[in-house]
Amino acid sequence: MSLAIPNGLDNTVERPGERAPLVLGETDYHEITETVCQVAERKPSTSWVIGFLISFALLQWLGICILYLFYTGVGVWGNRSPIFWGWPIVNFVFWVGIGHAGTLISAILFLFRQEWRTSINRAAEAMTIFAVACAGTFPGIHVGRAWLAFWLAPYPSLNLWMWPQFRSPLLWDVFAVSTYGTVSLLFWYMGMVPDLATFRDRSKNKWRRMAYGVLSLGWSGSSRHWMRYEKAYALLAALAAPLVLSVHTIVSFDFAVSQVPGWHTTIFPPYFVAGAIFSGFAMVLTLMIPSRKMLGLEKLITIRHLDNMCKIILATGSMVGLAYGTEFFIAWYGQVQEEKFAFINRAFGPYWWAYWTMVTCNVISPQLFWVKKFRTTPWIIFIITIFVNIGMWFERFVIVVTSLSRDYVPSAWAYFSPTWVDWSMLIGSFGLFMTLFLLFCRLMPVINMAETKSTLAKQIHLEEHGYGNH
Amino acid sequence: MSENNEKKVHGIVAEYTSVDSLLNACRRVRDAGYKKTDAFAPFAVHGIDKALGIKPTVLPWIVFGCGAVGAVVGLAMQIWMNSIDYPYIISGKPMISLPAFIPVAYELTILFAAFGAFFGMWALNGLPRFSNPIFTDPRFDRVTDDRFFLYIDSKDEQFDEAGIRQLFGDTGTDYIQTVVDDDSSSKVPKGFFVAWAVVIGLSVIPVLVVLKMRLTNSNLPRFHVFFDMDFSPSKDAQQTTTLFADGRAMRPDVAGTVARGDMLIDMDFMTGIDMEALTQVDARRAERLVRSFAEPSPQQAAEQPPVAAEDEKVAPEDDPAATDAAATPAAEAAENNDSQGEGSDEAETAKPAAPVAEPSVMDTTPWLTENPLELNKELLERGQTYFGIYCSVCHGLNGGGNGLVNRRAQKILATKWIPPSKLNQSTLAQDVYPDGKMFNTISNGIRKMPGYAAQITTRDRWAIVAYVRALQQSQNASIDEVPAAEQEAILKQQAEVKKQLEEQAAAEAAQAAAKPTEKE
Amino acid sequence: MSEHDTPAVKIADDPAFKLPTSLSSLSMPLCIGGVAVLLIGWACGSSVSAKFGMSAYLTAFMFCLTIALGSLFFVLIQHLVRAGWSVVVRRIAELFMVMVIPLGVLFLPVLATLLFGSGTLYNWDDPTYAEKNFLPMAIWTEKLRWLNQGWFTVRAILYFAIWSALAVWYFRRSVEQDETGEKAVSDRMQYWSGPAIMAFCGATSFAAFDWVMSLAPMWFSTMFGVYIFAGSVLAAHCTICITSFTLQRMGALRDEVTAEHYHDLGKFIFGFVFFWSYIAFSQYMLIWYGNIPEETHWIFERQLGAWGWIGIVLILFHWALPFLGTMSRHVRRNAPLITFWAVYLLAMHYVDLYWMIMPEAGSSMGGFMGVVSSLFCVVGMTAVMIGLVLRVADQTKVAAVRDPRLQESLAFENI
Repeated sequence: MSLAIPNGLDNTVERPGERAPLVLGETDYHEITETVCQVAERKPSTSWVIGFLISFALLQWLGICILYLFYTGVGVWGNRSPIFWGWPIVNFVFWVGIGHAGTLISAILFLFRQEWRTSINRAAEAMTIFAVACAGTFPGIHVGRAWLAFWLAPYPSLNLWMWPQFRSPLLWDVFAVSTYGTVSLLFWYMGMVPDLATFRDRSKNKWRRMAYGVLSLGWSGSSRHWMRYEKAYALLAALAAPLVLSVHTIVSFDFAVSQVPGWHTTIFPPYFVAGAIFSGFAMVLTLMIPSRKMLGLEKLITIRHLDNMCKIILATGSMVGLAYGTEFFIAWYGQVQEEKFAFINRAFGPYWWAYWTMVTCNVISPQLFWVKKFRTTPWIIFIITIFVNIGMWFERFVIVVTSLSRDYVPSAWAYFSPTWVDWSMLIGSFGLFMTLFLLFCRLMPVINMAETKSTLAKQIHLEEHGYGNH
Repeated sequence: MSENNEKKVHGIVAEYTSVDSLLNACRRVRDAGYKKTDAFAPFAVHGIDKALGIKPTVLPWIVFGCGAVGAVVGLAMQIWMNSIDYPYIISGKPMISLPAFIPVAYELTILFAAFGAFFGMWALNGLPRFSNPIFTDPRFDRVTDDRFFLYIDSKDEQFDEAGIRQLFGDTGTDYIQTVVDDDSSSKVPKGFFVAWAVVIGLSVIPVLVVLKMRLTNSNLPRFHVFFDMDFSPSKDAQQTTTLFADGRAMRPDVAGTVARGDMLIDMDFMTGIDMEALTQVDARRAERLVRSFAEPSPQQAAEQPPVAAEDEKVAPEDDPAATDAAATPAAEAAENNDSQGEGSDEAETAKPAAPVAEPSVMDTTPWLTENPLELNKELLERGQTYFGIYCSVCHGLNGGGNGLVNRRAQKILATKWIPPSKLNQSTLAQDVYPDGKMFNTISNGIRKMPGYAAQITTRDRWAIVAYVRALQQSQNASIDEVPAAEQEAILKQQAEVKKQLEEQAAAEAAQAAAKPTEKE
Repeated sequence: MSEHDTPAVKIADDPAFKLPTSLSSLSMPLCIGGVAVLLIGWACGSSVSAKFGMSAYLTAFMFCLTIALGSLFFVLIQHLVRAGWSVVVRRIAELFMVMVIPLGVLFLPVLATLLFGSGTLYNWDDPTYAEKNFLPMAIWTEKLRWLNQGWFTVRAILYFAIWSALAVWYFRRSVEQDETGEKAVSDRMQYWSGPAIMAFCGATSFAAFDWVMSLAPMWFSTMFGVYIFAGSVLAAHCTICITSFTLQRMGALRDEVTAEHYHDLGKFIFGFVFFWSYIAFSQYMLIWYGNIPEETHWIFERQLGAWGWIGIVLILFHWALPFLGTMSRHVRRNAPLITFWAVYLLAMHYVDLYWMIMPEAGSSMGGFMGVVSSLFCVVGMTAVMIGLVLRVADQTKVAAVRDPRLQESLAFENI
């Protein structure tokens, strides 16, 4: 049961009527197991250790900043009247956006039967969960007295004698993000169980075997189990797909239900969702390109995978561009004075640099992906995706800060400047994200072995029989 | 094999190396009539459920059910919490604002359905199950790597070891094994339990600490983690500050601006005081009152609201310079419940010490006894509207003093709460509590009640006074006051209600009578 | 691996790929009858008011146009993602997408109303509109820079030019492949599908603003283009489903379109019912919550009287009922059942457009004559479109017979 496909094959070319291979090399099922398991089983490489130390140091720095914030109060941030949302909410929306790629890859691409997702979905889902963890931190500490954040939960309180206010979009956010985190975690974990069983069965060490044994819940690979498992996976995918849409939609409601000029626009829900997918894919690529090299996964995460993800970035980037344009057009067409001003102010007001950074990074830079050369050269992709990440952070900055800094009352206008704590927390959140991701690489199966094997089985079947015969 | 014979046989398993050979073997086993079979593979093999004859799962129905429950729970929870148990209106939206409740209901639908899919799947699969006889054979470890296994359970009706070995042998397998009980030790290492106990023990500690703090009393002063949160540096009225050159925390109006309503100077109308008469009694006070309304110079504006500020200053003593807050509250407090107060806190603290002293400034003030506005239906309706908006929350819609705020205060046993006056009590009747005085109370507040001068226009405050009079009358009215034309209808209605009440009472009495008999 | 038998690829001249004569003979009668019914409908509507007649006409026109545009999008997206499953039904969408050309002709009456310059259909066309509605002139003159007869006409021509160019080019390539079986043709179609979709999205979004949103000239919603788009893709999937079912009943494509394809179409119908509701809800929610007079009037007018009931009908019967109805895989795999839902949803799609367009006619539902007019217009216009589709189909095949992915499509099986 093996298939020989040359390692250097350009599998981005697909002749109509034939499907290009997604797994390269002299490959059989065992080879896939070996390739994926070695990532976690061998000694950590120097680059991993260095990366981990840096990330962990940044994480500590984030922790210190949070303690400082708790002790001193939210005045340590640059949030001042009228810009009360400032960087914490910018970072929140940024990270939630990053967290959209994983579930999109695992759920929506699954429903669309895009088989190339199999070798990237695991790591992308992990990123989703870590990004949601980063995202959850910011509104958590932004409420001021973070230790009372549990007041947001609808529990029968003997002190307050009252309930949360369900007509507030901020509370919807609490439900949306926590539901998203929970369902993503279930989805991720469920997808991992068969692979954890592989880890269990390969463990030499008693303790390791026991730990993975408990985590894999006694998975035996029974066909009956597989059948229900696949059904459950499909159902979870069908549930997660609308969930992905809803989460960023609800984040967009935080802005759009208000009457702040530049926020109150009906295009916000789909536009935020497109932007989230856009940034999420960019982040997945930014991490995937170095890690496939370092972890030796080039045969499984092929150039074709990168190519496909670049196309999605191109598509969502264009949607975002179309939304920017539509917003501008309707701001003029609607002829509401404040709305018109808000958009002119974005582009030509004091934050013009943020706006044009955003447009350059989000609309112009992904257009380079029309050229196939750029879609298939890892280092170029890497650079462009970093631009996209920056651009998407600036998009949230533009939305949050420019609209708040100049709304209806000119006497209340102000200019926002971040403090060192703002900077530290943004950078520190990357420490949290990277620490979790690097730990994941060492402890968990980074690629969905079971699904990749099933893709290989289909590839072999096609090779031997073609369509429709058996 | 010899040692296997002594143990319980669970079934027979055969190993395959490719999907095709597994599927072929499955079909043969199915066609041979075996029912209790299972195939094991490192991934979901497409088409194996047909090859083995596995029935579809009921999981979708579980998920659908959970989702429906989630939707109902989500909607019901929000409607109950925000519209029934603690109803309040936010940003002008209705009590049950369905569009605003949809996002949370939607999220809960998905959350519940996802739980259904996740936990339902494990439950249907009978997992977690850590001990499984099929794991006994170390070769089976490769089922999660690259090998496929076909298994026939010994519980199958046709189970016959030799026959099955033969059947398997024909399907191109090179490894057939009998599955027997696992004889390895089932003991979990001690370290595991120790670690578990430590984790549980440690995680209980914070909970216990919180519970102890919750449930016991302590004489120690409160521990202020965040001092400036507990003691806000913001200033109260009349305090000093170093922030401004003039050292005052209260800021005067910005030069060149006029506060709303300051331009109107029909003094009687604005204050509820008969100014002509006041000039006779206390010319100095009248002058200051007029000045405070007419020319809101920075100094005087800082002493707003005018009437209240006046009242505080006008003590029995003649010299305004010698007036001081301490004297006035004592005098006011003597008037007990219906007195005109200044700062509620001061009134409160002064109350216990109140001696019966000279008549308060409140009594000596020549209040307007009549409403200066023309009383008509329109005015009363306006008064009713504004009474409903501002007053009824405490005083109740009928002025009985039992509005929502009061009820809630009683429910939570608020200790600092002073119940609002019953507006129909005799001390508030027009002859003892003139209209002007009531107007002043509405404008400047009394005890816990804040002044409403800033929120309700002068005209509307008078409208409320008129409406309160109407309320008072309605509570102590006799049928003769009703126009003859409508008397009949009212009497009829009264009779009906009375009859209903009697019937109800009778029914209750009957029930009460019936109960003891039932018990016996 | 699969247990079911895959039909073999038939030769291109097989009668299974030919439009059945029972259908092709209907072409002429449908066209002529359709035009007659359409004219009667328009006349009935004009008896209510000139504006009502034209509004009913526009509703019917938008109904057909959204189907054609949805089909165009369907074809483009299939090429963009190199879809395999859809090859057997793609030609049906291709037949409907070329209908943008006759629909361009049918748009002329709408443009003609602008000649009178008296607000016959579009309020902004009425020079006294701003005065009658006490609109500030500063705002109104700015508005008229976008909404004026000349520029509106130029834009309409531009939209039709883009759509027709795309539709014709893709249709020609596909038919060309029927003859040659050239694989490179698929490559070329895929190559251009990306820019094509971008052009399509821009044109469609702005056409929705121009033709429907500007009926209420002061109202605006950035999402409106997406709303129309969601409805049109749903309508296209329903149309494909109904057409393939009808063709199968009449004897074509019997072995080619299987339960698997209906299953997939059903999934998309289900998905777009959801997507439509998502967009509709988001738009409503944001306007309802923001509660500012510039926006709410549009929805408020649609909550008065009969329009309010139609709004509730949309919630219950454009979302709730079909959402539950098409949720089960057993329904989706059952061709007659899913076709029933497709017909049903097309009817609801018309109600949706009716709810968007007709309140602006200012005569409520126009009484008995109004209802008759609305129904006749849409039936007539649809009949004309079907007649033309049959005519085009008769000159070509009803499936892409030499598409290189046909084999894959035939063998396609859902999980």
